[in-house]
Amino acid sequence: MTTEVIEAARPAVRRLRRKAGEGIGLNSAAGHLVMVLLSLFCLFPVYWMVVTSLRPANAIFETSLWPTALSLDNYAYALNAIPIVRMLLNTLVISVVVTVIQLMTGLLAAYAFARWRFPFDKLIYAGVALTWLVPFQVVMIPNYLLVAQLGLLDSLTALILPHFASALAILLLAQSMRSFPREVIEAARMDGARSWRILWEVMTPNLRGTIASLAILIFISTWNEYFWPLLLSRTAENSVVQIGIQMFMTSEGNAWGPLMAASTMASLPILVVYIVLQRQVVQSFMKSGIR
Amino acid sequence: MHRKAFLAGAFALLAAGPAIAQAIPATVDQPVTITFYNYNLASAGIGAEATKKLVAEFMAANPNITVEGVPYSSADASRIQADLAAGLPVDLVQTVFSDLDFAVENFGAKALEDLVPADELAAHFEGMSPNGLKLGVLNGKTYGLAYTFSTPVLFYNADLFRAAGLDPDQPPKTWDAVKTAALSIKEKTGAMGFTGGIIGPGAADWLFQGVVRSNNGEVISRDRKTLKFAEPEAVEAVQMLRDLADAGAYENMDFNGALENMAAGKLAMYLQTSALQAGLVAGAKDKYELRASTMPSFGDKPTRPNNSGSALTIHTADPIKQRAAWELMKFLTSKHGYTVITSEIGYLPLRTDIVTDPQYLAGWVAEHPLVQPNLEQLSRLEPWDPMPGPNYRQIVKTMMDAVEMAVFGGADVQPTLADAAANAQALMP
Repeated sequence: MTTEVIEAARPAVRRLRRKAGEGIGLNSAAGHLVMVLLSLFCLFPVYWMVVTSLRPANAIFETSLWPTALSLDNYAYALNAIPIVRMLLNTLVISVVVTVIQLMTGLLAAYAFARWRFPFDKLIYAGVALTWLVPFQVVMIPNYLLVAQLGLLDSLTALILPHFASALAILLLAQSMRSFPREVIEAARMDGARSWRILWEVMTPNLRGTIASLAILIFISTWNEYFWPLLLSRTAENSVVQIGIQMFMTSEGNAWGPLMAASTMASLPILVVYIVLQRQVVQSFMKSGIR
Repeated sequence: MHRKAFLAGAFALLAAGPAIAQAIPATVDQPVTITFYNYNLASAGIGAEATKKLVAEFMAANPNITVEGVPYSSADASRIQADLAAGLPVDLVQTVFSDLDFAVENFGAKALEDLVPADELAAHFEGMSPNGLKLGVLNGKTYGLAYTFSTPVLFYNADLFRAAGLDPDQPPKTWDAVKTAALSIKEKTGAMGFTGGIIGPGAADWLFQGVVRSNNGEVISRDRKTLKFAEPEAVEAVQMLRDLADAGAYENMDFNGALENMAAGKLAMYLQTSALQAGLVAGAKDKYELRASTMPSFGDKPTRPNNSGSALTIHTADPIKQRAAWELMKFLTSKHGYTVITSEIGYLPLRTDIVTDPQYLAGWVAEHPLVQPNLEQLSRLEPWDPMPGPNYRQIVKTMMDAVEMAVFGGADVQPTLADAAANAQALMP
């Protein structure tokens, strides 16, 4: 009886499976189509930036997808008008140094919050979290006055100094350390390891995924920093590439060609970071939320 | 006794004040460094190149004076505020005319009459346009000398005029004519008729002030205590713009949109500062014939254009630096200085006699006919009134937002302007 029922049901099951398969195929095609369209939507501004940078001045507002006449004049002008290589180098140095320093201070502070109990620890932790909510513009002028008193105006040091510690780094690393298996730490402690060794030899190597994600976030965020360098830098030689790009926006009109050429050159390092560390970049945004 | 002596001393000091203020040395006979806060230096365009060139020439001619150019953003002047708060020297500033009141009240801009001996000042002012000199006057004293400034110019695409059967040699001189031409061009060519930098994103209030003035109104009273942009003349001016917009003659687009469409040959007329001339010429090159005319009038009322741009203001309290700053100011506003500013950036010369002088601008003017309307309007030039008090930017924003709502937002003109005027009046000092 049971066998008969199963045999009778087989064609119906096959039909259902076929239908489901068709559904998956259609859904998959539609999904891919949406993703392709979204990708084009995201890539188009980048494409337009590159294409515009290759158009001559009198064709800068043309809407053809490919320039009728290719020109590298905008790149030559941008390279002549501002010290863009120096600015790119400055931006790179600042981004790397800030990333390393924020990771270091973040790891130390996060370890303290995650592993130790001390008076007012929760209050201090909440205080650190609250600093995340204070926009940089609010502390920009007091920071500026401090930097001026230190005689560090118009220097790369001053561009780095206010970014020694980051609430994001501390909070993200503290959360990761809290979920780190206690047994591993206890085992290390039984082997005679103290906090310093536990942090650097046990926890840090095991948190490298989180640290890599955080490093990418800090690097990109520092690379794109605008307001602080705008206030602080007094010479193009001591400034960053974001200010260099803005220099093509003038009260006499925007020089779109050189601006797009400078933007293309400024995007290249970040593009390389994306291409090389694509998986980690996506993970970092998923872990911390898009900032 | 002690009290009396103190009061006498204080009185003597006060009485000596103006004398001390005027005691700038006759020359700079020792090395001195002055800072020159300049918003052109914050850019990489023609303005920065011309500024650097002039400063280099000045330093070569004045070996005792070193000029440290400090770029700043004129959008908020936060660097000047921060540097003053940090006790850094702010000696000479390129001040946007709308910031002049704030510069005097908060940044310590000095009146030239209080610094420079009267005969020396008169000698330098000789040959300058009297209307141009008034631009930097506030409360009866000259705080700024017009440096980079211009008037509203109606740029137009002569090819589109021809395509619409209009005579490009007879550009519209009145707002009615602008409307007729714009609608005709729109109908016959499909191109857009007219837009202006009067309102909308990126527009300051200078051009709006000129439009209202040209209808014999004003946005603020002469005693600078009462806002008047909701008075009948101003309302009528805004209503005219609204009618243009409602008729489809006035396109609602921002600064970049207008430039883009002019360069693409899709916009027939654009009322803007002459400072954009170089960019517009580059966009039109090999594509269409770009011409320029004076700003349109309300019927037969003469236009009363006012200026955009900046003045030079001295802020330092140190007499030797004041002299150095004054020397730089004199150089930048000399015949040679204005020749560079006009021919290399596109602004107006405050010294009108150099326009016909072959040693200075005569050759350049002959080759650049687009500058003619700008020069023609110099004889009718009126100041861009700066709003008073610490809330001056909010006052301007309140006014400009209301005008935009009235012209493009569909709001009733009179009540919208009246509401805004009441709100903005509360922000006045």
